[in-house]
This record gives sequence, C-alpha cells and structure tokens, in this order.
Amino acid sequence: MTDPVLRVRGLTRRFGGVVAVGDVDLDIAPGERRAVLGPNGAGKSTLFNLIAGADTPTSGSIELFGADVTSSGARQRTRQGLSRTFQTSRLLTGLTVEDNLYLAAIGVDGGRFRLVRTGRDRAARERARRTAASVGMADRLKTLAGDLSHGEQRQLEIGLALVAEPRMLLLDEPAAGLSRAERQLLTALLLSLDRDVTLLLIEHDMDVALTVAERVTMMHDGVVIVEGTPAEIRADQRVHDLYLGKAHV
Amino acid sequence: MTNRLQTLGTRGALAVVLVVLALVPVVCTTFFTSQVGLTSLWLGIVAVSLTFLSGYGGMVSLAQTALFGVAGLVTARLSVESGWDPWAAALVGILAATAVGLLFGAVASGSQGIYFLIITLAFAQVAYFYFAAVPTFGAHEGINGVRPPAVLGDPVQDPARMYWFLLAVSVLVFLGLRHVSRTAFGLALQGVRDDPVRMAALGYNVRLHRILGFTLAAPVAGAAGVLSAWSNTRMSAGSISLAIAILVLTAAVIGGLNRLEGAWVGALLYTLCDTYLRGWTDRFTTWLGVVFLVIVLVSPGGVVGLVSSAATWLRRRLPGGSAPPAVPSAPAPPVPVSSGGAR
Repeated sequence: MTDPVLRVRGLTRRFGGVVAVGDVDLDIAPGERRAVLGPNGAGKSTLFNLIAGADTPTSGSIELFGADVTSSGARQRTRQGLSRTFQTSRLLTGLTVEDNLYLAAIGVDGGRFRLVRTGRDRAARERARRTAASVGMADRLKTLAGDLSHGEQRQLEIGLALVAEPRMLLLDEPAAGLSRAERQLLTALLLSLDRDVTLLLIEHDMDVALTVAERVTMMHDGVVIVEGTPAEIRADQRVHDLYLGKAHV
Repeated sequence: MTNRLQTLGTRGALAVVLVVLALVPVVCTTFFTSQVGLTSLWLGIVAVSLTFLSGYGGMVSLAQTALFGVAGLVTARLSVESGWDPWAAALVGILAATAVGLLFGAVASGSQGIYFLIITLAFAQVAYFYFAAVPTFGAHEGINGVRPPAVLGDPVQDPARMYWFLLAVSVLVFLGLRHVSRTAFGLALQGVRDDPVRMAALGYNVRLHRILGFTLAAPVAGAAGVLSAWSNTRMSAGSISLAIAILVLTAAVIGGLNRLEGAWVGALLYTLCDTYLRGWTDRFTTWLGVVFLVIVLVSPGGVVGLVSSAATWLRRRLPGGSAPPAVPSAPAPPVPVSSGGAR
C-alpha cells in the first residue's frame, strides 16, 4: 500500500469527562473515497474538526501528506491542500457566487492582500467560473450567495472547497437538508470528482455515503467499531443494531 | 445593454453632481462655502473612513476621531510651534495617524460587534484625555493659528481654493476606497465581515486582514483631521470629544452605511441642520434628533438608500419604465435542482 495521505493515530478528544473521540486510528490512501458513518453523538463531527484543524486533540497525532500537522491550525492545513465543507453552509452571503469562489481560489494561491488587479486575478476568476460550472452554478455567478436557495447554497459550499484544487476534501454532511432529487445530483457530482482528490465524508444519509464511498468507517460512542467496504457494512450485524435501534450492545 | 445605459446614467448623474459641487464657491456666499462646504467635506471624509470599516469590514469604530485628532494635532503642532512646511507637517501627521491606527487595529481586531465598539470608544476617550492634558499639544486650549499651505488661500476670507482642494481629496478618497473594495484585499475584507470561520477555512488570516483594513482607514481619518485643522485654522482636544465621535457615527448612519457616498450626504445634512436650524429654533438639538430619528426609521439604508429606492419607484411608475430594480432580484433557479428540502 502506498503511503496514506491521512494517518491518524490514537486520536482522542475529551470534553470534560466526556470522551467525544477515543483512541481512533485511521489511514486513508491517496484517491480513496472514505465515508465515516455513525449515529448522532458518535463523534464524527469532532473527528472531522480535529482533522480539519478547527479543534485540538487531547492526545494522539495527525499526519497529513506525510507531515505531522497535529499542532498546526486550519489555515496551514488548507494551504497544504486540505479543503473542507461545513455541515451548515458557511457562505460569504454579502458577495456574489463568483466572488465567493474567487476568494476561495486566492485563499490558497496567495495574493490575498493585493490592492491591484493582475493577470493572476484573471486566472483565479477563470478558475472560479470553471468551478461554478462544475457544480452546476454557471448561470448564478452574479447572484449574491445570500439569495441562493438552500440546495444551491450546498452546491456552492462544495464549490468553495473544490476551487482551490485540494488534494484532500473533507465533506461534512453534504446532503444535509437536500431533497431526494438534489441528493441524486450531489451523488453524481461526488462520483465525477477527479481521482487525484482524496475524499473523506461524514454522512447521515446511507444512500449517498454507500454509493460514493469505497470504504466505510463506522463510529459509535467515540470509537471505531467496524471498517469495511459498503457491502460488508451493509451486511454487518452491529451496523444494523446501531441504525435499527439496538444501540449500546 | 440596459446595464451599460444604467452605468452611463449613473456616471452622468455623478458628473452633474460634481459640477454642481464645484460651482458652490462661485455661486454661493463665502459664508456658505466656508461654513457648510468646508465642514461637510472634512466631516464627510472622516465619516467615510467609518463607512468603509463598517460597510466592508463589519467594524463599527468610534476611534476614527482619535485618528483624526492625532493627524490634525501633530500637523498643527509641527507647523505652528516648529515652523514646518504645512505639506510636510501634514504628511507626518497622517503617517502618525496611520501608525496609531495600526496599533489600535492590532489591539481591537480580536474583538467583534459590541466589544469592538467599546474598545474603540476607549481609544477615542484615551486620545481625548491625552490631548486635553498634554501641553505639547496645547492641552485644553488647543493649537491656534494653523496656516494651511499658501496655495490654498485663506480659508476664512477666500475659501474657494480650499473648498476645491477638499472636494478633490474627497473624490480621490471615494474612488480609492471604492477601488479597494473591488480588489482581492477588499473582497476578502468583506468575506471576513460575512463569515470569519469560513475565511479561516479558506486559508485567510482573519485577524491580520482586520488589522490591515483598520490601518487602511486610518490615513483617511487622518487626512480629514489635517483638512479640518487647515479649514478652521485651529484644532483642540474639543475637536475630538465624545460628542464629535458620536457625530461622525451619526453622519455615517444617516447618510447610509451601505454606500461610501452616504458619508458625505450625512455630513452635509448634519452641517446644514447645524448651521441653519440653530437660527430658527432654540430647541436645535431636539429637532436634529427628530430629523435623524425619522431618517433611520424610514430608511435603514440612510438618505442614500432612500434616494435609490425613490429612484426605483419612479422608474417603475414612468411610462414604459420597466427598468430593472436597483438590486437585481434572483430569477427562478434554472438549474434542475428544486429549492425545497430545507429543514
């Protein structure tokens, strides 16, 4: 197996007496599509925030692209090629779709403090428009992000993570609040992503997760209880127990 | 096509406004040019530094008068006491204001909303009490007899050239800030205003952006301080009291915090009330308060917001006038994605 893009060892996060994430190990190979599943309170979001750098672990280590990033912040990880989406859309509501994507492009590229427009800006704008097209928003470029429908906001949310051409993409419940038609569109979008991008997604929706992912990590009460292919997960008795109500075995 | 026509229309209207403004010293009395003209222009410049911070950076600062005072008093001190050339003194004054702005920004940028307001209020008070106490800057007396550069003439006897200079500086400040708002830096500042968490996730140093945004507005407030000292030929701690800090905020708000030009509109409105309402009534402040209350209640976008909604309304009423509304409303999503499903 090639070196993993993400290697998590003994990751633990305690909130007072509560162990939100307990001693989690995780290896994700380049180009892999991995889903983290689990009921509410399983520790998925905490794990996600630790990987994204929005939260600091109590103990354990995180290696990203072969470098230890346990103590570096969200900003540094973003610049190394890690992008994330948020469970509830966090958009720049006062700016247009194009400006949202443009800012996401130069956030990693550099030129964030430029006071003049240059050729690099044109390139960034061009990428912003390409990304808008790839997430189905080519005709909404001049619309304020705050005026978009919920479904469109979710599309832009993914666009913001994609425009920087990340090496690894963290998706936090991308299907949250979407209708069935929108979920199908999202699934198609995720399946169409470049294989160079490694994908880690948290999802409540089993259909989206099991269609997109090649491997699934199942969490419960802060620990990983099973890891396997979607078929194995579908067949696993513990997963059935968790989702069909026989929790706390 | 309509867009281009609209742009042309807006530019034309702006040009007309500028010509009218430039004619003020020719058409109006010396008193009007100096009392109303000069005052609204420098007040507009210090107010626009707040409009910029608030509208684009989400930072409502009460410290703009402090920076205004630093520049004005340093300039006055250097030119009156040390006999410096007025231009050189002004340059040093504005640089001093920028340095203090950097310091203020570095301290205040960690706070947001009401806490940011309170910290900048503290800055305003510190500056006021400092200048009111320190003899170098004339203490409570202030510094009198500030001479503007000879080329600008006597601001009291013959304010025309001073007026044109202030008008030119106002136009430059307006164009400069508008340019900044469209650059990478300015857009990112607006992004920080909308969602700092998202901006951090996109790779931005949110705090540094706030500090630099605040610092960028400092020389604008500073320039207004210098122009005020030149126009009034004096400056004192009283020129930057809490009442003035609140006046700047009021001017910016009634003009409209969403648009840069609102700052000058608000400043003009205040100056007109201040100059003429006093002659008509003893209850000047009451009436001023009523005027401002009505504006804020009727139009959250201030006078400028009121004017643009009136223009939209008029265009709709005019025969054949189905012109697009000021803010293009979103058409139905053409993407095959239903907008439902929101929990």
